Amino acid sequence: MSTTEIAARAGAVSVQDVRKFYQRDSMQIKVLDGLSLEVPEGEFLALMGPSGSGKTTLLNLIAGIDRATSGRVVVAGTYLGSLSEGELAKWRSRNVGFIFQFYNLIPVLNAVENVELPLLLTSLSGRERRERALTALRIVGLADRSKHYPRQLSGGQEQRVAIARAIVTDPKVLVADEPTGDLDSQSAEEILDLIQTFNRDFGKTIIMVTHDPRAAARAHTQRHLEKGVLTA
Amino acid sequence: MKFAPLILKHLRKNWIRTLSTVLAMSVCIFLFCTLQTVVEAVNFGLHSGNASRLVTRHYVSLVYNLPLNYKAKIAGIPGIKQTVMNAWFGGIYRDPKNFFANFATEPEAFLQIFPEVILPPDQKERWLHDQRGCIIGRKLAQRFGWKVGDTFELESSIPPYRIGHPFDFVVDGIYDSSQQSFDLNSMYFNYKYLYEATGRNIGIGWLTEQIDDPSHAGAISKAIDAEFENTDTPTKTETEQAFLAGFVAMAGNLALLLNGIGLAVAFTILLVTANTMSIAVRERQQEIGVLKTLGFSSGLVMSLILIEALLIAALGGLVGLLLSKGMLGILPEVPMIGDVVAQYPSFGLSARTALLGVGFALLLGVAAGFLPAMNGYRTRITETLRQV
Repeated sequence: MSTTEIAARAGAVSVQDVRKFYQRDSMQIKVLDGLSLEVPEGEFLALMGPSGSGKTTLLNLIAGIDRATSGRVVVAGTYLGSLSEGELAKWRSRNVGFIFQFYNLIPVLNAVENVELPLLLTSLSGRERRERALTALRIVGLADRSKHYPRQLSGGQEQRVAIARAIVTDPKVLVADEPTGDLDSQSAEEILDLIQTFNRDFGKTIIMVTHDPRAAARAHTQRHLEKGVLTA
Repeated sequence: MKFAPLILKHLRKNWIRTLSTVLAMSVCIFLFCTLQTVVEAVNFGLHSGNASRLVTRHYVSLVYNLPLNYKAKIAGIPGIKQTVMNAWFGGIYRDPKNFFANFATEPEAFLQIFPEVILPPDQKERWLHDQRGCIIGRKLAQRFGWKVGDTFELESSIPPYRIGHPFDFVVDGIYDSSQQSFDLNSMYFNYKYLYEATGRNIGIGWLTEQIDDPSHAGAISKAIDAEFENTDTPTKTETEQAFLAGFVAMAGNLALLLNGIGLAVAFTILLVTANTMSIAVRERQQEIGVLKTLGFSSGLVMSLILIEALLIAALGGLVGLLLSKGMLGILPEVPMIGDVVAQYPSFGLSARTALLGVGFALLLGVAAGFLPAMNGYRTRITETLRQV
């Protein structure tokens, strides 16, 4: 099957017979073992499983920040294995939005500058970039905190800024790695509401890694990983 | 430009570290430019000697005079066009801190052999016919506010020239020069005045000869020295350049010493800056991972780190350059040091040295930022963010 055929038949995400090994000194550690997964466009998928099961590794492969040892990963119609490092970076900037557990905002930049970061890689003018960043902040309900620095925001607010940064380029796929793992229950609910809104109202394909059953319950589909294979 | 806020905010975040690195770099460039200026001034002086002029002095040292009849004997050697007698007078104007070079010479021969000395015709005429007269350089005139017609006194520090009272002089002319290397801080007066005032009991400090063909300088020098080889007062004749180089050699290999100091400082600053940049980048490993996740290429991340290092270097370079310019501007006014500086007419921060300084700062910046930037380039996203 050609790359083009794979891309044409795939939904938002197609993972086929993927293996991933890590080399630690002389030991080879098997993380994913012939895993296959299809995620249709507009899907909200929750990936669950114990620590070390390979959830984050799978998410990294789908997001194009790591490469599979073997197998094929096709996301948004692109076979990621065919891209060079530079092409992969450009692809990420256009097609994937990231939401991290610990927000990972740049501490020296204020909220709107953090949101604007991915847009620096586009050809938009400074004013256009700023307008889009402010719009993204308005969507997550933080327009009034645009000039605040990460240290001046609560955890929930930081995560909302991170979500604004993830959606500002209007990516097809959003990947979230334990997005509520560092939040209190109320903030977690707000973040999950927001993520659900992007899936429901904006049609974004969302793949979320979580340990939290309540978070997973928000997804359309739940898949479980165990020792590098999908068990359910 | 769109990445400027990201770079500038990082520099501002650790402003103490940034400031101290900038200051370290500025000290380095300050020293580099200042030392380079000294080396340049010395070299300029060395290479400004006229190839068609020879200098003859006592074989042992300039301290010993040559007999007066040597002038006529040397003038008769083939290839010699003109000769002039000179003597270092060592005159002090009121106080030793007012030091300036003053020489006894033969006005007519002097002006013929040193055509770079520019003197208005009326002043030239006046000097040629005034035994008490002297000419002074433009800078010396400005220093003491002397004008043509002014009088002043000098008392020599050299025993044979001490006659119980100071010598009085009249300013007959104020000279300029067509060559930047010719000292405008000196004074020249008539050798006859010195000769007669001292009871006709002195010799010649050194002789300057103009020769007809610079390519014969070696042969003519040998011929002059051969003439006096078996006398009580043997001579040493060399080109004007070699004669000037002899003065610098008294201080050892000055250029090597100064360049050595500069290199040692530069190397230290390179280590300091590289260490600072490494720490800065190491502290931002996670951030680099985030940037790469967002789509910043490894090359772009590397460029951002290098630009940060270059900004520090450029800022330090600029401050160092200003400090050096300020210092070189002040030096001529500093007592004692100013007198030494006055010996080098071209002393001052040249555009070439300034450009070299900026270039050197940027080179240091690149060198200091390269390894941290490579580290940023190689950073793997999965190693900096959460793993399995």
